[in-house]
Amino acid sequence: MAEFGSFAELVLTRSDERGDADAFVFLSDGGRGAEPERLPYRELDRSAKDLASWLQEHGLSGRQVLLLYPSGLDFIKAFIGCLYAGAVAVPAPLPSEQGQHFRRVSSIVRDARVGAVLTLGQHSADVQAWLAAEGFSDVVTLATDRGPVGAAGAWRDPGLSRDDLAFLQYTSGSTNSPKGVMVSHGNLLANEAAIARSAQNTSDMVIGGWLPFYHDMGLIGHVLQPLWLGTVGVLMSPVSFLRRPARWLEMISDYGVHGTGGPNFAYDLCVRRVTDAQLEGIDLSTLRTLCNGAEPVRAETIRAFSERFAPHGFRPDAFFPCYGMAETTLLVTGTRKERGALLREVDASGLERGSIEGPYLGAPTRTLVSSGVANEEDFDVRVVDPNSLVERPGGQVGEIWVRGSSVASGYWERPEVNAEVFGARITGQEELGTWLRTGDLGVLEGAELFVTGRLKEMVLINGRNIYPYDVESAVRGLDPAIGAGAVFGVDSGGQEHLVVVHEVRAAALSSDLKTLATAAQRLIVREFAVPAGNVLLVRPGTIRRTTSGKIQRTLMRKLFLSGALTALHSVVEPSVTALIEGGEVTAAVEAAPSLVAVG
Amino acid sequence: MSVPATDRPTSTQHTEHSVESLSSWLADRIALYLQRSPSEIAPSVPLAEYGLDSVAALSLCGDIEEDFDLVLEPTVAWDYPTIDALAGHLVEELRDVQSEAR
Repeated sequence: MAEFGSFAELVLTRSDERGDADAFVFLSDGGRGAEPERLPYRELDRSAKDLASWLQEHGLSGRQVLLLYPSGLDFIKAFIGCLYAGAVAVPAPLPSEQGQHFRRVSSIVRDARVGAVLTLGQHSADVQAWLAAEGFSDVVTLATDRGPVGAAGAWRDPGLSRDDLAFLQYTSGSTNSPKGVMVSHGNLLANEAAIARSAQNTSDMVIGGWLPFYHDMGLIGHVLQPLWLGTVGVLMSPVSFLRRPARWLEMISDYGVHGTGGPNFAYDLCVRRVTDAQLEGIDLSTLRTLCNGAEPVRAETIRAFSERFAPHGFRPDAFFPCYGMAETTLLVTGTRKERGALLREVDASGLERGSIEGPYLGAPTRTLVSSGVANEEDFDVRVVDPNSLVERPGGQVGEIWVRGSSVASGYWERPEVNAEVFGARITGQEELGTWLRTGDLGVLEGAELFVTGRLKEMVLINGRNIYPYDVESAVRGLDPAIGAGAVFGVDSGGQEHLVVVHEVRAAALSSDLKTLATAAQRLIVREFAVPAGNVLLVRPGTIRRTTSGKIQRTLMRKLFLSGALTALHSVVEPSVTALIEGGEVTAAVEAAPSLVAVG
Repeated sequence: MSVPATDRPTSTQHTEHSVESLSSWLADRIALYLQRSPSEIAPSVPLAEYGLDSVAALSLCGDIEEDFDLVLEPTVAWDYPTIDALAGHLVEELRDVQSEAR
């Protein structure tokens, strides 16, 4: 593979090489019968030059340009157009009627100091109205799907280098204070190479999927990887997949897809919702790499999916658990291609103490799924004690630290956070230089990385590491009427207390709320050997999640302490009650009638 | 592993739909998304109380499209928030489609 000076240069080269061959095929919501939209390399190149000339003419080279698009080929033309112009693309979800989306996108416009918004003609009036209402009077809006906007012949090569920014990825930070990862052209080229190396992708493979383009996994994995390889990307919208998960399998079968992926829940959805009738004639035998990342990878899911779809040619060794994040552009580790996912049964109490050991006969176990290995050309991965900053030996849990040419230089205009997060040094090994602190906890066994939780969400009680996810799963197992939960710790002057908040559908509960709370307390004491003095049972919808579905435990903790949580039933220790603003948990008044009504 | 629970009757497009038959179809589907038994889903209780989220709401639209050949907006589960309300709405929509076809 030749060395490219920028991702823009790579796309220019690919367009010359591939000409009229399809760069992308987009499957419409209409399903299998409908004609897909196609975007040949030559047309992508021409559209991107047209837009780039407009951006250059309007002084937007080197400035941030927000991309507000539904999933589709227009997003891809606009993204590459920004790269060609030397502008910094800022992909974001198209705001919907849900107020939260508008607020988040407004925060991004402000934080990134966006100079222009690109969108589709059908949305431009709404976008202009929103920008005006928010007082962004100097931000220009351009609809890019209404014919040529510039002159492709007037485009000038911006002469980019690998250090120039390609785009800002806003995936972390809260709604009010979003943080944009600064991904350079060099980061992008390095990570696309790392992905291809890890998944053993080649230019004769078909790559694709349904993940949103404004998210790192969709953009880097499904849109830019096919361009980097010089192959075809087959794409559809997340809504298409969620409406009818079988469409994903049809896509794989119809187009002979070799590489695709999604978070763990997508595989559960396929197992639950794809019917035998929908599977007729489906052939999954071309699949070589099925990425599973972005949320905890469950062994049960991998087993169930493999069993269900093996009769249709699915090879279980295609499952590719992986680990990465926007701060590393995307991928850090991936499963070794010569075999399937590695499952590791470990002693449960050893894991709580922070070490991988056992399993011991007769003692409780947990099954961990390896996120695979890093290639040494691409990344150096270490596990470090988050307090002493001393490297931890293999088999011992600590914070995952990463360095390599895919690691971004930091968050946009956050020098203080960047010094801490992107500029960390290992105690006693300062000469190695700086590392990215991922905030994730994990353990290396040999070269295999097992991710065990999030640093900030871990609760330390009596010297035990309690993983919220584990407690939440155990509590959910008590009764099918129990929904999502958030488990966190609060500190009352040096002593950590576990707080368990769970949604419950009171009407469907087989016992009463008080009995359930007591059962949850007994379970936690028994399974995790820590006191569970604080249990709040709340209405469905109370537990906050990020847009990608992750439980926002830190936010739930804040809401709890500020007295903002309303409980159907709660038990709270007096020392914890004293920490809550207002001095008590608010009780829901209609709890009793709804319980009686359904009986 | 087989999942017989996801096999559907194939005759839905030719039968006369009633509120009762649609209610039972809806309870079956929703129970599947929420991983519980259909008898637990009371027809008059808002589905949000059972933890119906946006993924499940989209799933429902997809299954309605698949079985009744009826394309609905993903917001339908919030506009008609109970099984009773949804079944009533579906009967009307299906009646409209049939009278258009004649």
